[in-house]
Amino acid sequence: MKRLAVLLLLAPALALAEPATLIRDTELRQSPASDAAVLAPLGVNAKVEALERKGGWTRVRAEGGREGWVRMLMLRYAGAGEAKQGDSGIVQILNVARSGTSGTQVATGVRGLDAEQLANAKPNEAELKKLHGYSATDAAAAGFAASGKLEARKIDYPKEGG
Amino acid sequence: MMRRLALACCLLLAAAPAAAQFNINLNRLLDVGKNVKKATTDVDEKEEVEIGRDMAARLLGAAPLAADEALQRYVNHVGRWLASQTERPGLPWRFGVLEAPQLNAFATPGGHIFVTRGLVARMTSEAELAGVLAHEIAHVLRKHHLKAIQKGAQLELANTVVGTFSRSEGSANRREKLLAAGSELFARGLDKDDELEADRLGVVIAARGGYDAYGLPAVLQTLQAMNPEDSGLALMFKTHPAPAERLDALEKIQSTLDAYAAQQQLAARFSGALGR
Repeated sequence: MKRLAVLLLLAPALALAEPATLIRDTELRQSPASDAAVLAPLGVNAKVEALERKGGWTRVRAEGGREGWVRMLMLRYAGAGEAKQGDSGIVQILNVARSGTSGTQVATGVRGLDAEQLANAKPNEAELKKLHGYSATDAAAAGFAASGKLEARKIDYPKEGG
Repeated sequence: MMRRLALACCLLLAAAPAAAQFNINLNRLLDVGKNVKKATTDVDEKEEVEIGRDMAARLLGAAPLAADEALQRYVNHVGRWLASQTERPGLPWRFGVLEAPQLNAFATPGGHIFVTRGLVARMTSEAELAGVLAHEIAHVLRKHHLKAIQKGAQLELANTVVGTFSRSEGSANRREKLLAAGSELFARGLDKDDELEADRLGVVIAARGGYDAYGLPAVLQTLQAMNPEDSGLALMFKTHPAPAERLDALEKIQSTLDAYAAQQQLAARFSGALGR
């Protein structure tokens, strides 16, 4: 049971070949760029399988097996539809894992951060103190950024609606 | 019932220093409304941080920190770096991963930011984590929680809250009431427009930090791809616009997204921090 929970934690966000549909007419392109060669037009509601993401682009397999790139924001996944019935069970499984030391292995319902638990929560000062002990200084964060080759840029906030 | 209401109004007017007359006066009530608004607008930075600290302690009472110091420090580095790119770098920013299977993230006023283990587990890169943290940072920058508390106070004006947040009260009492109102927001959520604003600002803050601007949209797409009935999503979906709607809204700033899409994703560093 515990191993299953670990496996679920390791599952990549975008599972391979995730079914998706297009929200507008668009083009299937050879590479992830707006000036890349167009392989085929794709119509609104066309079904594709999403394979991987790169920046604002997602590599998809279109009907007929043709692969290429579409703008990521053109895609909506089947999550809202009938394709995915039922619960992933993540919450229940993790609860079993968390209470595993008790040896009972009985899921006692959803724990943690649901509305009821939040409403009834008592302050936990010990955890808050621990949290404060983990904070990073500005200088440490700058060093961390440099080691990841993150460069700060000046960018204005967008105005509402664009 | 009527009598009790009249009594309440009398007490209320008597409590206001300038109230000389005892008849029910609509203008007077409206003035009290303005005072509530002013009182919460008046929350200074020190008080903002205190309320947020108290709210954070409550949140940690519902779910403790993930027992992984390396992960906690990692998230603090990412978060602190992002916060340094904003107009409020001097706040006491703290970041934490909550040991909870649900997928969610929270901010409290003054700079406490949390993300659940359940959500982190669904991410694939540091740029995605940065996008989520930056969304929460934006709530703090724009004081969305204080705004919501103030709005709630106005809505409840006709009932019991009149004067709730007035400065004339003992400050401990005031702090307690602000905490209660603020903590309610965890389950009730913020304004939809504030969520969408936090998405727009979050994308920019992550890009300022040198991250692939599509990190946040990628997380939204991950959520959109999940079964909306999933029990791990219940609270997040109750308190936020649907992921598809948020993605629609972000399309309006696609030019900004595209301009910074080629920046760092740091998938390997993220996986390392998670011990994958």
